[in-house]
Amino acid sequence: MDFLFSYIVLAEIYVLLGLSTNLLVGIAGIFSVSQAAVFGVGAYLVAHFMMAADPLSFIPSMLIAAACCVALNILVTLPSLRVSGDYFVVTSFGIQLLATAVFTNWAQGTGGANGLPGIPPPDLFGWPVETTGRYVLLCTLFAGLGCLAFWLIMRAPFGRLVRAIREDETAVAAAGKNVLRAKVSAAALAGAFAGTAGGLYATFLSFIDPSSFDLDASILLLTMVVVGGARTLAGSVIGPFLLLALPQLLTLVDIPTTIAAAARQLIYGLLLIVFMLFRPQGLAGERL
Amino acid sequence: MLALQLLATGLVTGCALGVVAISFSLVYATTKIFHVAHAGIYTMGGYLAWSMVMYGVPFLIALLVAMVACTAAGALIQNQLYARLERRRATHLVVLIASLGALAVIQNIIAAVYTPNILQFPVNWSSRMMAFGPVRLNYTQVLTIVVSLLAYGATMLFAHRTILGKRIRAVASNPMLAGITRLQPQTVYVYVIAIASALVCLPGVLVPLDLGLQPYNGVTPLLTATIAMIAGGVGSITGAFVLSVGIAVVQNLSLLVMPGEWSIGVTFFIFVIFMLFRPTGLFAAR
Repeated sequence: MDFLFSYIVLAEIYVLLGLSTNLLVGIAGIFSVSQAAVFGVGAYLVAHFMMAADPLSFIPSMLIAAACCVALNILVTLPSLRVSGDYFVVTSFGIQLLATAVFTNWAQGTGGANGLPGIPPPDLFGWPVETTGRYVLLCTLFAGLGCLAFWLIMRAPFGRLVRAIREDETAVAAAGKNVLRAKVSAAALAGAFAGTAGGLYATFLSFIDPSSFDLDASILLLTMVVVGGARTLAGSVIGPFLLLALPQLLTLVDIPTTIAAAARQLIYGLLLIVFMLFRPQGLAGERL
Repeated sequence: MLALQLLATGLVTGCALGVVAISFSLVYATTKIFHVAHAGIYTMGGYLAWSMVMYGVPFLIALLVAMVACTAAGALIQNQLYARLERRRATHLVVLIASLGALAVIQNIIAAVYTPNILQFPVNWSSRMMAFGPVRLNYTQVLTIVVSLLAYGATMLFAHRTILGKRIRAVASNPMLAGITRLQPQTVYVYVIAIASALVCLPGVLVPLDLGLQPYNGVTPLLTATIAMIAGGVGSITGAFVLSVGIAVVQNLSLLVMPGEWSIGVTFFIFVIFMLFRPTGLFAAR
């Protein structure tokens, strides 16, 4: 039972990340491989505040982490998107590699490659979330709120504006809309989702290390959105649930543990290529 | 003295990076595809050469065979992946995601076959030292400088003096017009990626000869090379090469004041400076 619960918790955390990636890549059409870096910043910040000598409780830590991730995403996207979309590809690769370097090498702040153990469990206004069962409730709450927010944003004028930019940037600019501001706002929202997911991840596992937030993790996030389906709520939910089940399926096939990680990443890569070639809209999405 | 030595190793790294940058620049300026999978070709070349050297093939022949294999792999990616996507009128984003997928596939096949551990080339001459005044470089480093400069010269000659080079530049400057005048852009794209893949195989083999092979080591050089290409001005071969050397030298000299783990930060800082103050690059064509 615990196993099923922790699968659901992780999948729901990845749903939040899927929404974040979908906002940026699917809806705004900005290619990004730095989602895992933002996710990691959220996780490390929440861990830091909850383990400080004068610890903050769960909700304030989450709020600070989300705010920092929003600020980070704005800082990162603003200079490069001003120039061109391809410059942002370079920026996002750069941020991802830089974040991995910081997580791995800044030993006092992040515990380095050994990771950061002993992150305390969260409490909601005095209600401690200690069992996995309670955690499912907490994550369902957050994922539900995330989905609701995503759905509302997509119906709002802002959602239509961002979709329109993806279709034809020049036309939107000609209609007198501020394209750069809309793109940066989409990135900021994506940062808030990823930061929140990071906080949930850190407190649920109570241990984080750089390997959860590297380039491979970003590729996994992209695969989730591509397989589930870009630009729709259903796609961002289906993708994480499907792809997190994949490692369990792989344990049924008899492959040596030394190449298991590589085999998993290999499958993600193949999925990306096959979906782009034959079904760019994913299982439940719209045309990418 | 340390500064001089760092300057020299910076030149070596910069020359190798320069070849990565000009090869990427060829692809990007012509096809407009952000060919991330190029990092996979770079890594693949090194591993293929390593396997052949392990089986006793002389180094030079191993290098040439690896180049041929990389050429084929590059042409295959263009022909089977990018061209198909182009026929389906896929957006830029879709091509980019597919390219990232190809990178993940190549890297992880390598990691599964060779394990993710560092491998060293089993050649005895590679680390023999040569002294140039106070600076000491090993044979591999000297070879890297010589080969990279030759590759740069050959690329310049090829692009400006041969028919195919001129055809590539014509397609790069206006694919529509080139299509109308029967220069067949799609065929040119295959040639360009094939040539670029052969070029990138040179640093792909020479750098690991000095520093060892790892399956995920292709992304950082490609990122640095891309930054050099942008800082030099997209489409300028000289710009890409000169800026690669410049960035690598700055990166190496920064070791005087900070530890090596942060060199990616130095590179990225240079990129942000260029983005803010001169986004078209130093050698941009008007």
